[in-house]
Amino acid sequence: MMKTLNGAMTALGLILLCSGAANAQEPIKLGVLEDQSGDFAAATIGKVHGIQLAAEEINAAGGIAGRPLELVVYDTQSDNTRYQEFMRRVLQRDKVDAVFAGFSSASREAYRPIVNQFDGFAFYNNQYEGGVCDANMVVTGAVPEQQFSTLLPYMMETYGKKVYTIAADYNFGQISAEWVRNIVKEGGGEMVGEEFIPLGVSQFSQTIQNIQAAKPDFIVTLLVGTAQASYYEQAAAANVNLPMGSSVNVGQGYEHKRFKPPSLANMYATVNWIEEVDNPQSKAFVEKWHKKFPDEPYINQEAENSFLAVYLYKQMVERAGGSTKKDELRKIIAQGDVCFDAPEGKVCLDPKSQHMSHTIYLAKVNDDHSISFPKVWNDIKPYWLGEAGCDLTKNDPSAQYTPSSPPPAAN
Amino acid sequence: MLRPNPLSRAIALLEGPQTQGRGTPFWASFAVVVAIACAYPLFADGYDVGNNVYFFNWTFMALGLSLIWGYGGTLSFGQTAFFGVAGYSYGVISINLGDAYGLTLFALFASVAAAALFAALLGYFLFFGRISGVFLGIVTLSVTLVLERFMAQTAGPEWRVGLARLNGYNGMGSMPSLTVPWFGGDIVLFPDVQLYYFTLALLVVSYLGLRILVNSRFGNVLVAIRENPQRAEMLGYDIRVYQLVTFVIGSAFAGLSGVLYTSWGNYITPASMNMTAAALPIVWVAVGGRSDLTTTLIGTLVVLAGFQALTIHGSQYALVVMGVLLVLTVLIAPRGLIFGLGTFLAKCFHHKTTAGRE
Amino acid sequence: MTLVYTLFSFLYQTGDAFAFLVLSACGLAIIFGMMGVINLAHGEFILCGAYVCSASARAGLPLPLAILAGAVAAGLVGMVIERIIIRPLYDRPLDTIVATWGVSMIVTQSTLIILGSAMPGTGTPFGSFAVGPYSYSVYRVVLMAAAVATLGVLWLGFTKTRFGILARATIQVPHIAQALGVNTGLIYSLTFGLGAALAGLAGGLYAPTMTLVPTMGSAFVVEAFVTVVVGGADIFLGTAPAALVLGAAKAALTSWQGQLAGQIGLLVAVIIVIRILPRGISGWILRERA
Repeated sequence: MMKTLNGAMTALGLILLCSGAANAQEPIKLGVLEDQSGDFAAATIGKVHGIQLAAEEINAAGGIAGRPLELVVYDTQSDNTRYQEFMRRVLQRDKVDAVFAGFSSASREAYRPIVNQFDGFAFYNNQYEGGVCDANMVVTGAVPEQQFSTLLPYMMETYGKKVYTIAADYNFGQISAEWVRNIVKEGGGEMVGEEFIPLGVSQFSQTIQNIQAAKPDFIVTLLVGTAQASYYEQAAAANVNLPMGSSVNVGQGYEHKRFKPPSLANMYATVNWIEEVDNPQSKAFVEKWHKKFPDEPYINQEAENSFLAVYLYKQMVERAGGSTKKDELRKIIAQGDVCFDAPEGKVCLDPKSQHMSHTIYLAKVNDDHSISFPKVWNDIKPYWLGEAGCDLTKNDPSAQYTPSSPPPAAN
Repeated sequence: MLRPNPLSRAIALLEGPQTQGRGTPFWASFAVVVAIACAYPLFADGYDVGNNVYFFNWTFMALGLSLIWGYGGTLSFGQTAFFGVAGYSYGVISINLGDAYGLTLFALFASVAAAALFAALLGYFLFFGRISGVFLGIVTLSVTLVLERFMAQTAGPEWRVGLARLNGYNGMGSMPSLTVPWFGGDIVLFPDVQLYYFTLALLVVSYLGLRILVNSRFGNVLVAIRENPQRAEMLGYDIRVYQLVTFVIGSAFAGLSGVLYTSWGNYITPASMNMTAAALPIVWVAVGGRSDLTTTLIGTLVVLAGFQALTIHGSQYALVVMGVLLVLTVLIAPRGLIFGLGTFLAKCFHHKTTAGRE
Repeated sequence: MTLVYTLFSFLYQTGDAFAFLVLSACGLAIIFGMMGVINLAHGEFILCGAYVCSASARAGLPLPLAILAGAVAAGLVGMVIERIIIRPLYDRPLDTIVATWGVSMIVTQSTLIILGSAMPGTGTPFGSFAVGPYSYSVYRVVLMAAAVATLGVLWLGFTKTRFGILARATIQVPHIAQALGVNTGLIYSLTFGLGAALAGLAGGLYAPTMTLVPTMGSAFVVEAFVTVVVGGADIFLGTAPAALVLGAAKAALTSWQGQLAGQIGLLVAVIIVIRILPRGISGWILRERA
């Protein structure tokens, strides 16, 4: 079995130490394919830590259905081909029972054919552009309808109806921008401009000028990747001084910790959780995290998703009588009440799309880059896929849909 | 005197001044290696077989680059452009035509042909424009980056060719795997034993074919151009034509890699054409020993397998170790690690090393 | 008046693109253009400069000194790398690709392991100014001035100082220089170090405006390479006009059609210029062999 040096060794050691009653049982193996180096490492190292923390707790409490949980971790180096290689390895050689994999949508689309081929069971614990209707996938990340249906009406009410979008020029950015366009229009607002920035661009002088020319009331920033995040610093230096709304920045890449105040002042991000959330269970979660990982720069929403996903998996397996077979677990999901009391609040899996409901926190970045939460929405469901016609309890198209390319009409 | 027929002439060209390895010991070991490779699926599990197919997929691109760079002297930094063009073409054609009646094989040929056509156009632009050296490297790099950036933003539903959506950065998926029509049911080449033999056969044929090519008159002229272009020109050869043909053949191999990869993983993405992907073939070929086909082939497989093993077992230090290995290779074995190893072993066994080129 | 504003805006955007290309490229122009080393670790020298600059600025050093500290640090690292790795490879330019690619992997991953996945930034100084309906960052104008100043100082250095003349002589005709008693080894180290220091300077200058992650060098590498190659072998006759041509093309396309057009347009401009001038701009001006 292949393991990384630090994390999984700790997990294995703890498994052997703590699960005295369970060590006669065969372990349940969880594959973990995450980018621990390369371009995406800043946002994803926390995900592995979240999984390790959950595994340690679960094993200390006796494991899943009495069996210890064992992690098989690979570093995919922010490279799609590594996802393909290691997904095959983890399903065919290591024969894991489930896999937690993927940060970028490209990596997910790279490994999905392989998961389908081997009929595996994969969790995608990342926010993304939505639309994956695939019975072999459980998605715990937030989707646009959860983040924008909450953010945009609030912003339009507070600041005005003229909106300018700058988005990363690829699937996630383009589809999110489409969502923004639709919701702004529904709310009676006006898109005064939309700009798409190729990934890897780090110089924004022209974009800043275009924004100033369009005079919006607020900007929606859907910038992805560390290079594009340079926008905030450059916009502040040019004194753009407009409120901003985002579904992806702050919550994923913790820009408010990395850039000097006040570059992100007046940024509103709808996140399903960030480490600043101020309620007792969230604070307790942060504390136990820092005890195990004192050097963690930031616990982002993807890390929290990964943590709670392990518990969701535990629940599914235990409710299926200890079976890790995909079809048994899907029957449990179809019952409609696989829920968990996560650090963010109560979350539930939707049987039609196998996506997750979320508590959505509106995080406002203040002038000194501290965070306040003007609003919280509970139990926002991932309604779009089900409404659009994806029903995994009935059939499995194994496809990804978008608002402009929805599932074909039901027969 | 009877003229030797073309087949025996071709077989005679399997050995020659441009390739390492000649005589009975070499071909005996070659036969043994091929025999082991054929027998491998009998004692390896499904994962290893599929994983080795994955490594084989990349060797075609390395062989093509060896032809263009090692033998032709042209540093093409953009072989991934042809990899991507062929991969996407395969996706488009096979999604639209389906996989019955062996149409995926047609898709394979057509995609490689598309990559070759694109290479012909680009090559004409480069060689007949007298672009050479590092300038050619930069132009080819620019081409692959333009393709990557352009394809990365084709996410919207309007970006489609027939039924096939290009799907931007997320990549095109759900194309059918290569399917061989057979009596009693088509054989779908999943990354398993059948695909292994298919790819292995292609590899052996390509390797032997390239050996014949580089040892032929064409190969001799090519090496002459590499050594001194002006002298070759003054001897009456139109070097632009030779360079162009070499470029097209090498890029067709890159395209073959692209099709095989796309079929193996049912997926192709613009990231396959980015800067890192473009630099990798150069690293493999340089480590192996670019001026010989055999060393390139062995070197590519060793580097791919080695880097994968390091990533699996080395956690975060894998990339550091890989970097150190590359630096050491260049400093210790300037003509390539495998080449150096081969020369060293040959000296040990007191065989004459192929004098070929110095 | 709108014409004045538009003209200023056009000049600003072109100058901004020009500054980025010049600063990214001048270090590489020395290492690659003059010395023939294809340095794929160029981004890592920029990374070094950016990290040292940010760390020193946060430790209390005033920003100009921090930027210089970044440049010096990158220069020292460059000299060490030159001595150990690059020195044996001067007559094998294509092998420098593999060696520097290896160095790049080592540096990027080591930075990630030792310093973590991101470093906090320092914030952009000097505030903003307004011309017409737009407000601009003062610091970007400082960057433009820095680019021009760098070119000026380099020109003076290479033509008027003893070191500059020795360096050019050593690189052009090493045996004769050595025969005349020049310590060619030291000159190589110093010149490579200068190239690395210039890359570090670019990193330090841009550090206040960008995200600081171990892979940040990749934002500069492609544009640096294309600028140097389009320019041809000479820095002053080549890199500077190349940066101007490519910068103008990129700024114009970005302003007309958006960032994607600017990115693709830059690369297409590279292809076209090389096709028209197969020896680069300076090769065309000088009609020398490359």
